Amino acid sequence: MSAVVFYLATIVNYFFIYNILAWGLNIQFGYAGILDFTYITFMAVGAYVAGVTSLGPPQPGTGVVYILGWHLPFPIPILLGGLAAAALGLVVGLLAINRLRSDYLAIVTLSVGIILYSLVGNLTNLFDGFDGLVGVPEPLNGQVHLGVNTYTIFYMAVTGAVMVLLWFVAQRLLRSPLGRTMRAIREDVDVAEAFGKNTFRIRLWAMVIGCFYAGVGGALLVGFVGAFSPDGWSTLETFIIWAILLIGGRGNNWGSVLGSFLVVAVLSEATRYLPAIPNNAFLEPALRNMVIGAGLIVVLRFRPQGLLPERKANFSEVRTAAPGLEASHAD
Amino acid sequence: MSILWLSIGFGFVTASVLALASVGLSLQFGVTNYVNFAYGSFLTLGAYFAWTTLTGGHLPLWLAIVIGALGVGVVGVLSDRIVFRSFTRSGFPLFYLLIVSFGLSLILGNVVQGVWGPSPQFFAVVSQFPLHIGPFLLTPAQLVIIGVAGVSMVGVHLLLTRTRLGKAMRAMSDNPALAQVSGIDINRVTTWAWFISGTLAGLAGIALAISTASFEPAFGENFLFIIFAAVIVGGIGQPYGAMLGAVLIGMVTEVSAAFIDPAYSTDLAFVVLIIMLLLRPQGLIPAQGKA
Repeated sequence: MSAVVFYLATIVNYFFIYNILAWGLNIQFGYAGILDFTYITFMAVGAYVAGVTSLGPPQPGTGVVYILGWHLPFPIPILLGGLAAAALGLVVGLLAINRLRSDYLAIVTLSVGIILYSLVGNLTNLFDGFDGLVGVPEPLNGQVHLGVNTYTIFYMAVTGAVMVLLWFVAQRLLRSPLGRTMRAIREDVDVAEAFGKNTFRIRLWAMVIGCFYAGVGGALLVGFVGAFSPDGWSTLETFIIWAILLIGGRGNNWGSVLGSFLVVAVLSEATRYLPAIPNNAFLEPALRNMVIGAGLIVVLRFRPQGLLPERKANFSEVRTAAPGLEASHAD
Repeated sequence: MSILWLSIGFGFVTASVLALASVGLSLQFGVTNYVNFAYGSFLTLGAYFAWTTLTGGHLPLWLAIVIGALGVGVVGVLSDRIVFRSFTRSGFPLFYLLIVSFGLSLILGNVVQGVWGPSPQFFAVVSQFPLHIGPFLLTPAQLVIIGVAGVSMVGVHLLLTRTRLGKAMRAMSDNPALAQVSGIDINRVTTWAWFISGTLAGLAGIALAISTASFEPAFGENFLFIIFAAVIVGGIGQPYGAMLGAVLIGMVTEVSAAFIDPAYSTDLAFVVLIIMLLLRPQGLIPAQGKA
């Protein structure tokens, strides 16, 4: 098994996981217009819960301390990770979604992220603080007993299967009455209210489902990487998911696929061709992040709907019957 | 009892830093009607500009503070002119501006990381003997912070009430369309709002760096949610509300440190923010049409 195959399999695993994460954010923002500026925190909750439920009890003497340690078999930890993230999403949604302008929602989610970051870091009994979890068992490797390289390829099938399942759910939701109402709320809350929709409860659903996706993505990530610490979920990581969603095209799950392909390719590949800068080891990752930030701003400016725009329903007969009823863009 | 007095003294220092920061954020929000999520990076830039002027340029501290603050004012104007203005002119919806400012904070934060590196820096003025002032125990640097904040707040008050520019800002905050048809040059006022907002952010960043002993590339962004708490408690888009919110949040975070583990004292700012959002989301001094 050559190093190239191992390397490609690693990238494909990340690509699959980023797809899941981007679809979750798409359900929150692309479907329902919820500005979640701490999406990665929900991924982290999924990763931590999956980690501590698949690890055995903490061993005295190693200095690694965490809660639970249930040693549950695949796929229960992944499910629990998703549910834990969804539960946190419900709490944050109850606090923030009702009656607030979208910038308040962004402020509250961002603050929740910073608070949870410092709490997880300081409460070392919870998930081992800033040191984080290590040695999380690889899902199913207790049964298949594969080496590192072969397991990476095997794990592609695991993430791929979960991804396909979540793809169908996201696409089904998009076309369902619930998904249609979400998009109606995104376009104009007042109109949806006037049609008798409980906009608060429907946006809460979008928040919770999106967080479930984030949690599952995080659980798959921790099974793959085997370790997780607060370094893995800074604000930067939230921004990367946002960049995937918006560069690809919000409201369109295919757009998220294109976006995660582009961003993962940029993250892992493109910057290695930059000329080496002597005496400054910090410049290269910093430049990479600047490129992602600037790239997103440029795409938003010149192609605000993203590379693959949402396909909006075409009510041509309705429009000829009542001219001037163009969909307005509310925030 | 003396610990309580001490913590009230520190509360004044934190309130001063917060007042500078939250009035700057609120002023720009009032005029432009969108929140700048890159504001935390503005604080970081202020601290690094002043630090480089001080250690690299060997200039006196007061001059380094002035250069650092005005430098961030220029960064504010450039951010508006290069980035935000092209979105507002084309009538992009609100959420684009929020995401763009989020992206700008990523860019600025990484500029700091790339230029100055990730390791913490500190201002050499920190190690001074504290003075007894009444029941409080404060270093000369902390007294200067309180003084600078006080002078700045009076300055902002005079600007808003006594000058044409300040009155134009308040008019734009109340009703931008009406302000424009009344003959106010909204482009010029917006540019000034960004300059003043950036300058106050720079001052706040320097003050924060001096009062917390050390600073690193993420320190402004981590402070941002405390600024948000102060601004929302006071009433978003309201400079006077921001001052009130700053005093409240500053006192809560510092005085609580006398009773609970100081590691969690800033988390209390968040608790206050949530209670406020649930009970009175428009803030203590609400601004028309902003909540």
